[in-house]
Amino acid sequence: MKQIAGDTLFIDLSKRISWREPNDDLVRQYLGARGINARYLWELYEPGADAFGPDNPLIFGTGLLTGTVAPSSGRTTITCLSPATGWYLKTNAGGHFGGEMKYAGYGNIVVQGQAEEPTYVWIDDARVKFRDARHLWGKDVRETDRALKEELGDEDIQTVAIGPAGENRVMFASVMFTVYNAAGRGGAGAVMGSKNLKAVAVRGTGAVKPVQPARFHELALAARRSVEADSGFEGLGTYGTSGSLAAVNEVRALASYNFRRSHVDDVYRITGQYLSDSGLLKRRVACFSCPIGCHRHCAVGDGPFAGSSTGGPEFETLVALGSGCGTLDARAVIMANEIANVMGMDTISLGSVIQWAMESYEKGLITKEDLDGREMHWGDGEMIVELARKIAFREGFGDVLADGVKRAAERVGGDSYKWAVHGKGLEQSRVDTRSAKAYALAFAVNPRGADHLHTETFADFGMSPEGRALIEKITGDPKYTAAYCSEKRAEIVRWHEDCYAVTDALGYCAFTSTALYGVTPAMMADIYSAAIGIETTEDEIMHLGRRIVTLEKCFNVRQGATRADDHLPWRLMNEINPDRPEPDAINSQAELDVMLDDYYDLHGWDRATSWPTRATLEAVGLVDVGGELERRGKLPG
Amino acid sequence: MIDRIVVSYPELCTGCRQCELTCSYVHEGVYSPGLSRIRLVRFEGEGLSVPVTCVYCRRPYCEEVCPTGAMTHDPQTGTAVVLEARCIGCKECVGACPIGAADVPAAKDTAIRCDLCGGDPACVKACPTGALKFESISQATREKRRGRVKEFALVMDATLGREER
Repeated sequence: MKQIAGDTLFIDLSKRISWREPNDDLVRQYLGARGINARYLWELYEPGADAFGPDNPLIFGTGLLTGTVAPSSGRTTITCLSPATGWYLKTNAGGHFGGEMKYAGYGNIVVQGQAEEPTYVWIDDARVKFRDARHLWGKDVRETDRALKEELGDEDIQTVAIGPAGENRVMFASVMFTVYNAAGRGGAGAVMGSKNLKAVAVRGTGAVKPVQPARFHELALAARRSVEADSGFEGLGTYGTSGSLAAVNEVRALASYNFRRSHVDDVYRITGQYLSDSGLLKRRVACFSCPIGCHRHCAVGDGPFAGSSTGGPEFETLVALGSGCGTLDARAVIMANEIANVMGMDTISLGSVIQWAMESYEKGLITKEDLDGREMHWGDGEMIVELARKIAFREGFGDVLADGVKRAAERVGGDSYKWAVHGKGLEQSRVDTRSAKAYALAFAVNPRGADHLHTETFADFGMSPEGRALIEKITGDPKYTAAYCSEKRAEIVRWHEDCYAVTDALGYCAFTSTALYGVTPAMMADIYSAAIGIETTEDEIMHLGRRIVTLEKCFNVRQGATRADDHLPWRLMNEINPDRPEPDAINSQAELDVMLDDYYDLHGWDRATSWPTRATLEAVGLVDVGGELERRGKLPG
Repeated sequence: MIDRIVVSYPELCTGCRQCELTCSYVHEGVYSPGLSRIRLVRFEGEGLSVPVTCVYCRRPYCEEVCPTGAMTHDPQTGTAVVLEARCIGCKECVGACPIGAADVPAAKDTAIRCDLCGGDPACVKACPTGALKFESISQATREKRRGRVKEFALVMDATLGREER
């Protein structure tokens, strides 16, 4: 099993030592990546430890299948305590680092402690070296990747790095994989910065071998055929994630003007179709082992944003930095995207704080003086770009915005919390949950805050035949596929939770299993069985998925989470969606409460506190976790 | 003899590495780009990847410099053969190959070179975008010529004020 799972590499930056341990048992109990990371964080993090202190471990985990030919299976999860939210954080990236890490012999890397001086870690197969990074501090991600390849003398190494935003502890600083693939959400880049860890470079020359190679290979090819047969496959490859902007706009879920609108006219100008037609799209780019290839590389040749060239922009970026800020100028978005990428910032949160600032300016809570004498108005592309830079370096008002929208609203005061669109302190991803109720529930209960990358429930939109069939399968009745339906959402969310956890743990992309639906849980169970040589059924693998989801919940319970923390942003709960004013197109506490009750019941969690019961923890195989929660008085009575 | 080779069209390559992973599995039974007979040259900052594999030189230096005769070809089909038992891992072939297609990987110790899977290359079948084709060079040249002329014709059309495409 070692030849597919790899070992865990422990790195202590304070003591400048490293060691490795086998993780076969963890693979059996937690599958890989996100699952194993969750277990390590539970064990290594002591409640109360500062997110920016030496005792917040930064854990990398690549998928069990990463390194193999299984389609779109090269993703890597980072796990730590989020400085932005104070809650659990898992953030996940594509790119090619995970494969290289596996070929070097590692499934997981646990980084602990804090280096005295800026440091990077050079992992050359079994050799691990701590190297001076003082000359790299201040460099952007692109420059850092280039410098590392030059000084290590190998253009084929893979890197993860932070930019100035991570160094400056911007609360939404990302960790950038392979230059342009972001583990963006929740501020993992700031945690890396607090450890004085500028980058990790890895060279792996080894091989990955499943326990049952021939069976594994056949199953991988079957999985690929199934992904390619999905109705969403061709569009996703051809136009990227941004290919679906027009459809989301059509169902009135395109979060525009800081969620004051959910629809824009002339959306074409920020769609993937436009990027292609206009020639801004230079190339399609794929992550490791991915036949879809949804990532993009774009460049601007003329106009005020000429010369910018970047990986992306993705759906979320075009909405966050485009329609959300009131601009449909794809060229401005590309430049802001490049700044976010090389400075190492999450584009969702960046767009969110900028549009919050635009609304606060409009309402007089922020003035020209705050903005170094500049006026600000909706759709001001130059201002978007300028603020992005200021935030990365915490200059001027950028320093306020760099703390995220929740803290910024606390600083500015007044009613500005009402348009600070976040859940648990995480800026909401750009989906209007008033138009999609499973998304609303999933965002509310997401342990890391309001977004779609813990439990993508794409079927909720009813846009694809696969999604509609799945909802019928989960709920037993096609009537639950209707838009704005709030019934049976708990069942839909729980299925996607389990499935997404397995997906992340195996290293698969959500575009194989919870947005596109080509790779089913049964197929994941089969390939997991062939990978490790232990027969596992669909029910068993989904059970392991639930164990991961429950453990992540328990981390937050131990941190003090209760039912009150499972909420949605004020604006979405209290304001109607002007582009869809029907009475069912809202989020409300009453509606959320019904969905939450269903959801907690389904999980076997206590309705009053949201805490998992002892019986539930026993059922999912987390007896010891229950014991610790009991000692801390966190088991429901 | 060799009438078709693996021709790459980098403008279509997304860098997904399905070719490398398939090749290493077919030849070595494991997944490892380092053991693949086709390699991607990647430029991460530009999002660019270019596949490189044996182009079947008319006069293969890799075979000429091999001191043991391990680097050779099938006299019937012309496809590459490495007699592993004879290969001493001296890496002369690596130095001689003009494009870096012959290799002695760290994980193997004997030389590797694309054998076209005996006439039905697995990498070509694995490529999801058509960036790899198994075709004759004259065919590849024809296509390239036509592609270039088409671009030129479009520019001419635009210059003359005609409608594009």
